[in-house]
Parts: sequence; structure tokens; C-alpha cells
Amino acid sequence: MIEYYTFKHRGDSLDFLDEVYLTLIPSMTVAIFYGSHLSEGARSQALLFSEIINSDEAAKSISDLNGVMEEYLEQDSEYLLLRAVDKGIACFRRGGVCAKIVRNGQISILPNGYFELSREDRLICATSNFYKYLNDEGILADALVADSCSEWMNMMIRRISDQNQLKCGNLSAVTLRLEN
Amino acid sequence: MYDFTLLPGDTVLAIRVALVLFVFAFLSFSVIIIYTLVKVRVYSKHHKDKLKLICDVAYFHEKGKRDDQEDSLYISPMDKLEDYGLVAACSDGMGGLLNGEVVSKYVTDSLREHYPYRFDGQKENVQLITEISDKIYEEYHLGAGATLVMVHIYDDYLNFYSLGDSNIILIRNNRATLLNYKQNYVTLMIRKFAEGGIDTVDAYRDTRAKGLIDFVGNHKCNVLKTSSPIRLIENDIIIVSSDGVTDSIPLNRLVNHIHFDQNATGIARSIKYGVKTRRNPRQDNYSAVVIKMKRSFV
Repeated sequence: MIEYYTFKHRGDSLDFLDEVYLTLIPSMTVAIFYGSHLSEGARSQALLFSEIINSDEAAKSISDLNGVMEEYLEQDSEYLLLRAVDKGIACFRRGGVCAKIVRNGQISILPNGYFELSREDRLICATSNFYKYLNDEGILADALVADSCSEWMNMMIRRISDQNQLKCGNLSAVTLRLEN
Repeated sequence: MYDFTLLPGDTVLAIRVALVLFVFAFLSFSVIIIYTLVKVRVYSKHHKDKLKLICDVAYFHEKGKRDDQEDSLYISPMDKLEDYGLVAACSDGMGGLLNGEVVSKYVTDSLREHYPYRFDGQKENVQLITEISDKIYEEYHLGAGATLVMVHIYDDYLNFYSLGDSNIILIRNNRATLLNYKQNYVTLMIRKFAEGGIDTVDAYRDTRAKGLIDFVGNHKCNVLKTSSPIRLIENDIIIVSSDGVTDSIPLNRLVNHIHFDQNATGIARSIKYGVKTRRNPRQDNYSAVVIKMKRSFV
């Protein structure tokens, strides 16, 4: 069973220019595009990213899907692709979007490639603007206290809010827990 | 069959001597192997003990400008550290309600009575705290209450429990992080505003929003707890405190008052001095248990 929670907030920006995509069929796939970071063409790039993800190309493996992204998107595009494969997760990140994993009371960045997961592992995928107002100890403590992914997300949002009242540009994140 | 009687006497003697030497060599080799294995095992155990983190603990407990001391602390026996770990707790009687000092002391006394605690028994520990809360509820019917923050450290791991808005602070790499979130209306308002896609400025404007939604003395309270422990590392500093500390020294300035080289006593002294020198005319009670994780060297 997969439990997840997505969070999208435009912050003090006029528009939400990131893209957060999550599907569970045929396999759980998370894709985050960090459009608000781009100085120009953010909307068109986000749209293109969304079209690729919603097309048949999305059925390809993460590395092939990344090849498609590289072919069509601008060089400075930043995104994260993550998919559940067998008992683990395949991940590809480019730029300031990354996934972090909470395991054995510690937190670390999920590397590119395949990563075997165990029960009780928790994942967060977010843009660097989301991580900017958090630190690893806070994310870790919230993950271990929260009973659900939505509760975990809300705790982190409280931490961000305590610093800037969410007036901080686009915020995009997904919390995940894979229960075998 | 061989007939050894046909061999010359000297050769038989040589064979016998060779056999005796072989048995001696075999026994010596076995003794050396057993000795080495025992030594390696003993060394590994000693080495593992050396790698363990130990808790250096200190505390302060001050009244501030209040007439009564409504904070109460509990630190588990240090001689039981090896077997059951360290439990440290701070309870702060709720302002505006009666019997704050009685309730907070009742909370820490109850914790003392129920020591030791199972480190991986978070659910039963939560059950115990809930029972303490229910007893206070039955006595005062929301007319009195207290906050509670409690940490349980065993080897290199930390579990914590929290009710209300007191603090469990982890200082790592010269950065202070509040581990538990405050159970007040601000949290609920932020959740609603964030879901609605708007900023959260109004959540902080209303001073009534700081009112607690959960505390010890509430009926069937919701105790925050770690479902699995946090890994600690050398030189981590854990501060279990009442809000009187952070009201005077905000979290982001806390590290300015301490130094990396200080032991727990030095850190406690520095923070206490920091609060005192703020000269806040409405200084609340301020109390804290300071724990510094140090590498043990035998």
C-alpha cells in the first residue's frame, strides 16, 4: 500500500509555475518540475513537462523518460522523476529538486538510480525552495512523529510558515510512505 | 598391519619423540587460537563500549518574576543509565489556571514512580501519560493543566513525547531545531490557510491562537511521540525546557549563547545567564534539562 500527500502553494507569487504529478497506475510515479525557478519560459516548460508525463512516454523506464525530458526541455530545467519498481524506487533528479529518505532514525538524499526500500521508510520529494526553510533534523523529527503523510506535510508547512508566513514563492512537495 | 618390532630401537624412539612433539605443538596451537578469540571478543566489547555515546546532564530551575514555581523537572537516576537509558522531562503548569505548581509536580512525580520505561514501548508510555492526564482531568475538569515534554535516550537513540507547547530542542552543527511542534490553535489555522492556498499572516496576529489545544489535564489527550527513534551523534545537545526559556531567547539565537566546547553544565549556565540578562519584567518561570551527547573513553 502506498500512502501519499501532495502540497502545492503559490506562496506570494502571482502564479503557480511548478508542476507536481503523481499517479499510482500502472506503477506509482512522482514527477516534480521546478518551473518557478526558471527566469523565463517557465509556463511553457511546465506545460511541456506535463504533456510528456501524461503521454505514452510516461510508461517508459525512468532513464528512458529522462532521455525524453532532456530532448524536449530546456537545458536549465530542473525536475525529479521517481517510480516504484519491484521492492524499491527508481529515481532521477536534475537540479534543485530532490527526494529525501527517512530510515533508521536518519535522513539522507535519495541518490539517482535504483534504491531498495524497507518497511517504515518515508520519502519526501520537494523543490529546493521548499527545503530552503527546513533543516534535516526538523524534517526527520516530523517524519517520525507524524502518523500519516498529510500530518508530516502539515508539520513541515508549520515550520516554513513560522519563518515567512508562506510568503516565499511556490512551494511544491510530496510525502510518501510505502507500506508492504 | 605394520610390525613395528622389526624397526630399529632408535627409529621407534624418534617416532615417539615426533609424536609427543606433534601433540605438544597441536595443544599449543589450540591454546593460542582460543586465547586470541577470547581477546578479540573482549576487545570488541570494550571497543563497542568506547564507541557508545554517553549523556552529560545538567539543569536549571528558576522562578523568573513569578511568585510561584510552576515548572517541574524530572531526571532519571544516572546509575541506571546503562540499563534503562536516560529519561528527562519538564512540565510547565498552565498560566491562567489554578494549581499550576501542583499539577506540574504531580506529572513529574508520576513519571518518577513509573520509572523505568521501555525504550521501544512508545505506545505503553503514551498510555501512561494519557492516564496521568485523565487523572488530572477527573480532579480538576479542565480547571488546571500542564504541558509535558519528555525525552528517552538509550545508547545513540532518542525517543520523545510531548503535550502542549514546551520545547524539545536539538542543537546539531551549531543549529537549533525544535523537534516537537506546538499543540496550539496557530497550528490548526496554518493548516487551514495553507490548504486554502493563502498566506498565514493572520494565524500569528491573533494572540488567542496561542491557546493550547492539548495538554496534560485534557480528557483523552493526544500525546505526540516518535514512532521510531532519532539517531543521535556526538556533540548533539538536547534541551528539554519550558517556554520561559524560548520566550526570552528565541530558537535562532540560542546557539549564540553556547559554545561547542562547553559541557552540559557550562551550556546550562550560559542559557540561564542569557535569560537572566534579558531582564524581562514579566519573565515566566524558566527551567531546562540540558543533555550533551559525548563519546565515552575508557
